[in-house]
Amino acid sequence: MKTLFRATADFMAHVRRDLERPHAFAHERVGFIAVRATTGREHLVLLAERYHPVADEDYIRDDTVGALIGQEALRKALEVALLQSVGMFHVHAHFHPGKLWFSLTDLREQARFVPDFFSVRESMPHGALVLNHTDAAGRVWLSRTGISTIDEFDTIGAKVEVARGPSGPGTDFYV
Amino acid sequence: MSTQGDFSRQSFLGADSEDRLARLRVVIAGLGGGGSHVAQQLAHVGVGEIRLLDPDCIDPSNLNRLIGATQEDVKAARPKVLIAQRTIHGIRPWIKVAAEQKKWQEAAHLIQDAHVVIGCLDGFQQRDYLEGAARRYLLPYIDVGMEVTKIAEGAFAVSGQMIMTRPGGPCLQCLGFITPERLAQEENRYGDAGINPQVVWTNGTLASLAVGALIRLVTPWFPTQELYTWLEFDGNAQTVSPSEQPRYRLIPETCPHRGGRDGLGDPFFALTSPSLE
Repeated sequence: MKTLFRATADFMAHVRRDLERPHAFAHERVGFIAVRATTGREHLVLLAERYHPVADEDYIRDDTVGALIGQEALRKALEVALLQSVGMFHVHAHFHPGKLWFSLTDLREQARFVPDFFSVRESMPHGALVLNHTDAAGRVWLSRTGISTIDEFDTIGAKVEVARGPSGPGTDFYV
Repeated sequence: MSTQGDFSRQSFLGADSEDRLARLRVVIAGLGGGGSHVAQQLAHVGVGEIRLLDPDCIDPSNLNRLIGATQEDVKAARPKVLIAQRTIHGIRPWIKVAAEQKKWQEAAHLIQDAHVVIGCLDGFQQRDYLEGAARRYLLPYIDVGMEVTKIAEGAFAVSGQMIMTRPGGPCLQCLGFITPERLAQEENRYGDAGINPQVVWTNGTLASLAVGALIRLVTPWFPTQELYTWLEFDGNAQTVSPSEQPRYRLIPETCPHRGGRDGLGDPFFALTSPSLE
């Protein structure tokens, strides 16, 4: 079964605006998107419900990466998954030109923290997204080790945008 | 999705409009007078996947308006979804069609991963439920319907509407199209439906407006920021105009009728569901 991520255009614009805000020392911002889910004819459908930006004070100074978030940020995200019965998708942005996909650091870190969400909310899919100004790409975990690429991104606004998700070029090594 | 055919006459819709339409999955709930027109037009414009839902088979009284239907279909009491499927494939055989002879509530999986829902249903309650389902899955909803009202002895007013609503905008209740009074009236008439007058030319006009709304949603042709579209059809005067009704209502900034806690997705969703396998 393929996976589809769907959000309203207003929601995605809000997330992009937040991720573009400068931080006192981090080079980029991070957030989490809470999702609900359903199963359609051919797709697992992930429905963006609410955006949870990482608080300013939950970043850790580290100039070797774009942004490093601390345990408190993850604890808060885990709490949302637990208490609100939602899936949680880590989200950040690569606003620079080039093919939209995760960096090797992103992939390595995701493999460390995304499976933790299954400890608190095993019934929901979790994952990670990366955005630029127009597109999105992402990976979904259907279990602690069952990972796949998100196949389609739908944005619903005054226009309906249906975009195919890019596939990861040889990134399975880091899964 | 690879399309076949020459779409040059609609190339004004935008450079990538052919691809946009080919990627699209559209649900039509109700394949009667309105829905059969919509199905035919979606095939002409090149929508890549059309999902058809209607529990009924054709009967002789449908032949005055059901596009694609033949006398042979009436004789065979053929399901309306199969008539629509045949019409679509007669126009563009590459279009993917999922046809289920069921009420839409019994085949919600066709709605959940679609992109747009077009409702061609009778009754306010059914419209309300279907729009609610579309909102639950973050989908735009396009509604068409016509009515013939007896206004005096031997005098009838033919009217109809095409309404497009979308997540983030007002719903049919916010707009005042569905009201508690209308729902109550309909409930009181339950079991006393009588004959519901329908004619092919008004069905066709309203279906064309619905397809126009869909094309505006999915192609770059017509830049718009509309939160909704409500067009009213006066079948006697043969005119179409934007409804004035929302102007006389206080439309809430955030729809209070849809969404809220557990307002999105399947409230009982679990990754262990057999449908995921």
